[in-house]
Amino acid sequence: MEFAGSERSRPAGVALTAGPTALKILVAGGFGVGKTTMVGSISEIRPLHTEELLSDRGVGVDDTSGVEGKITTTVALDFGRITIREGLWLYLFGTPGQDRFWFMWDELSLGALGAVVLADTRRLQDCFPAVDYFEQRGLPFVVAVNCFDGARRHDPAKVRRALGLDAATPVVMCDARHRASVKEVLTTLVTHAVGGAYRHVD
Amino acid sequence: MTDDDDPGPLVRLFGLTGGRVRPSGETFDLVAIVTTVSMPFEPVGLNPEHESMLDICLRPTPVADVAAQLRLPLNITRVLLGDLRREGLVTIDAPRPAQQLIDERIYREVLHGIRRL
Repeated sequence: MEFAGSERSRPAGVALTAGPTALKILVAGGFGVGKTTMVGSISEIRPLHTEELLSDRGVGVDDTSGVEGKITTTVALDFGRITIREGLWLYLFGTPGQDRFWFMWDELSLGALGAVVLADTRRLQDCFPAVDYFEQRGLPFVVAVNCFDGARRHDPAKVRRALGLDAATPVVMCDARHRASVKEVLTTLVTHAVGGAYRHVD
Repeated sequence: MTDDDDPGPLVRLFGLTGGRVRPSGETFDLVAIVTTVSMPFEPVGLNPEHESMLDICLRPTPVADVAAQLRLPLNITRVLLGDLRREGLVTIDAPRPAQQLIDERIYREVLHGIRRL
């Protein structure tokens, strides 16, 4: 017997055939390279820049003792969203690449579609840790060189050599401030992530 | 320490979770889908943020989106959603890994979705 008004449930019979799904893309790179800008350029919602409180054990660390760790630090995290259609979303997560935050990347990269490594040619070494990390994890990534200086062209081949990338990993020039440019980076990543399996699709 | 490092608002928000940094029960992904399955008639023990979450998740919603709509930090959102799951008010479905999920149809949709922006 139902008691009207005692509870509101999800309407019965709503078919969720494929089920709502969210895909994750990570935006990595050194401090000040333009991660926040990139997420902001493409997100359809006002991107959320949050300061996350972390315990000294970190989030995502299995703690069965029930004793909470002492809060020792905060980490900035940006995320934005692109709605592909009702029930299919793409989320971009950008967070610092310092070593002490890798546990956060462990969680974010789990099941992710791929990653954008933003690079600044003046401080290329800043993105070494991110490149190493994604290579070790086997997560597909593209390197996007943020051309702050606009007109000056960078040589993708030089960047590839400097980062020791394999031939398959795309290196693209971009301007993180411009949506059209960020769209290009993301479509390159998505195509790379499926391994060119559907290259004939346009 | 600069003004930007002021922990004040965070500490206040942290009060919402009673100092907890991790949700009770099994951990879940930031893009796990949350669905409200029951609305309590008398929301005993729930705070306004919990109630807002139940409203939002009447339509299945990713964890990150709940945080965005309520403008709450992700980890705090996750703790509060963990409370709702413990009370049996929401279900939280783990996302399938993208590499398993993405087929030609979804790939095409994603590509077109990005280009359309």
